[in-house]
Amino acid sequence: MEIKTHTDGATLTIAVSGRVDTVTAPELEAGLKFGDATRVVLDLADVPYMSSAGLRLLLSAHKTMLAKGGELQIARVPPAVREVLDLTGFSGILNLV
Amino acid sequence: MTERRSLDLKLVLSVLAAFLLSMAFTWFLHTRLSERDAYALIDRTFTAVEAEIIDCVDERLVRLCLAVRERLEDDGWPTDTASLAALAQEMKITEISVANAAGDIVASSVTDYLAAPGKPAFNFKTAGGKAEDMMCLVTGPETDYCQPFRSNTANGAWRKFVGVWMPSTGGFVEIGCDGESLRGLSRSSLMDLFRNWRVGGAGGIVVTTPSGLILSDYEEPNREGAYWEAPDDSFYWKREEIEGFPTYVLIPKGSAAVQRDVLVGATAVLNGAALVFVALLVGFVISAFVRRQMRLQAAKELTMAKDIQLAALPNVFPPFPGETRFDIRASMATAKEVGGDFYDFYFTGPDRVLFLIADVSGKGVPAAMFMMRAKTLIKSIAQTGRPLAQVFAAANDALCEGNSSNTFVTVWAGELNIETGRVTYVNAGHNPPVVRRDGAVAYLKSRPALVLGALAGVRYGVGELQLKPGDAIYLYTDGITEQPDAVGELYGEARLLASLAGCADRSEEAALDTVLADVRRHAAGVEQADDCTQLIIRYDGDGGRAAGTNNGQEKGDDHGN
Repeated sequence: MEIKTHTDGATLTIAVSGRVDTVTAPELEAGLKFGDATRVVLDLADVPYMSSAGLRLLLSAHKTMLAKGGELQIARVPPAVREVLDLTGFSGILNLV
Repeated sequence: MTERRSLDLKLVLSVLAAFLLSMAFTWFLHTRLSERDAYALIDRTFTAVEAEIIDCVDERLVRLCLAVRERLEDDGWPTDTASLAALAQEMKITEISVANAAGDIVASSVTDYLAAPGKPAFNFKTAGGKAEDMMCLVTGPETDYCQPFRSNTANGAWRKFVGVWMPSTGGFVEIGCDGESLRGLSRSSLMDLFRNWRVGGAGGIVVTTPSGLILSDYEEPNREGAYWEAPDDSFYWKREEIEGFPTYVLIPKGSAAVQRDVLVGATAVLNGAALVFVALLVGFVISAFVRRQMRLQAAKELTMAKDIQLAALPNVFPPFPGETRFDIRASMATAKEVGGDFYDFYFTGPDRVLFLIADVSGKGVPAAMFMMRAKTLIKSIAQTGRPLAQVFAAANDALCEGNSSNTFVTVWAGELNIETGRVTYVNAGHNPPVVRRDGAVAYLKSRPALVLGALAGVRYGVGELQLKPGDAIYLYTDGITEQPDAVGELYGEARLLASLAGCADRSEEAALDTVLADVRRHAAGVEQADDCTQLIIRYDGDGGRAAGTNNGQEKGDDHGN
């Protein structure tokens, strides 16, 4: 798994590439540090698969940003991940852009 | 972690203590060894110094004795005591005697040695004691001979005797010196004798007169009139009197300890390296042991969690003996790692039965515990008889409370009205079930609501479905559809549907087994990735009590409405 971050003003972009499953989730969890950013864009374009362990991280990140008055945007969601988000009802609560 | 760190600290401290202890021991040992070596060297040096001093004194006295013989010859061999005594005094020696070839003293500065009425002259051969060795001058081949400084045979006085052969008579001339005369004569010979001798690198030899005046010093040339002071604690040293001259051999402790310091230094490096190696090894062994224990403990806990989890699920089939209006079968094939799948079913009213399947996010003991909580919560709320949508809303709110890890659970639950065959269902983020109606299988796709435990206050909508006798609903978790094969291809929904379609005319129990076998065939040796949990419920209709067969298709035909 590879995690790249890019800060542009108050916007933090985190680009993830690789499968997110039980094995790689701890790595992603360690990489989801938002600092002072008020807007976080999580780019999932290169994530071919996401298990429930990954969904848990998305939920945590979403709640963390809400709690500090910011927002989390999930960007460029590939169809396979989009299907999982739809199936679990997460598409309804996450900001998918 | 803290335990581990304090273990490391203890290890470092013990290694340090062992190192210091071993170094102290090495230092002590080598100090003792270098001291012993220094004294052995001092003793060896004394042997050489003694020989050197005696040689030097002997040489001086032999020359003197030759001079005395020359004088006696020049004077025409006087025999009277007075002349000889005068000559002795002149030569600064104590006594002079002349012996014939038989060993009798024929002339002497000492009257006692001479023949007197009733008493023969002193005879070297017959006097006994140690005097006899002087006879070597008569018997040859020696032409001069020196005795050591010792008490003499005639009267016990301390003397050093030196003799030279007299070719004219075959006898010899002997001179004797007492201590004072000896030192007086030898003094000049001993001056600076050992100046260039070095003992053990920086040590040396000092010779003084009995009163302490320095004759030979190793540090600087004879210091005229300087007195020697006994060395202090910074030296290994020893004092011996040689021919009456106090002689010191001394080695500075620092120079003796050079070897010790080198050895201790080398030992420190080797010991240090060895101890660091041992410490690393011990640390490695301990941490490997701890890791192994932790692994065993974790494995044990996982097994227990798995057992508890399995025991919590209803596992006696048929579950409701004598019940003919419907049948439920379920199974859970657990993966190596404990997961959070579960299924459940129970009556929520006289004619209502609730059945559900669920999958908790993540794996391991936390998932198993969350699963137990979710299962208990849903059951306790559902058995109050509240509508399914409210059951989900209440269970969701309860599960969200204090859920800091954001663990969630996907649930598909249906409530069957046994009288009417109507099923009310809620899908909280779970995989769509397969419904078999009139022998045809299809996924029951519906817009899923959010999983339980993610967000409090979510409202859950219900879906409805009408079953006819013989129809069935098949629930499963993604352990089935997401089982990969050797090249990573998942089992998938299409294969599942095909497998179920092939079981339409078989018992529900057989259907579950068939699907699981098909999944395993697909995996083809690849390890089971996740729990494979399935549940199937077949509706037989209110009037189907008497039918009593497991074949839903036939029954469906029998009781088709």
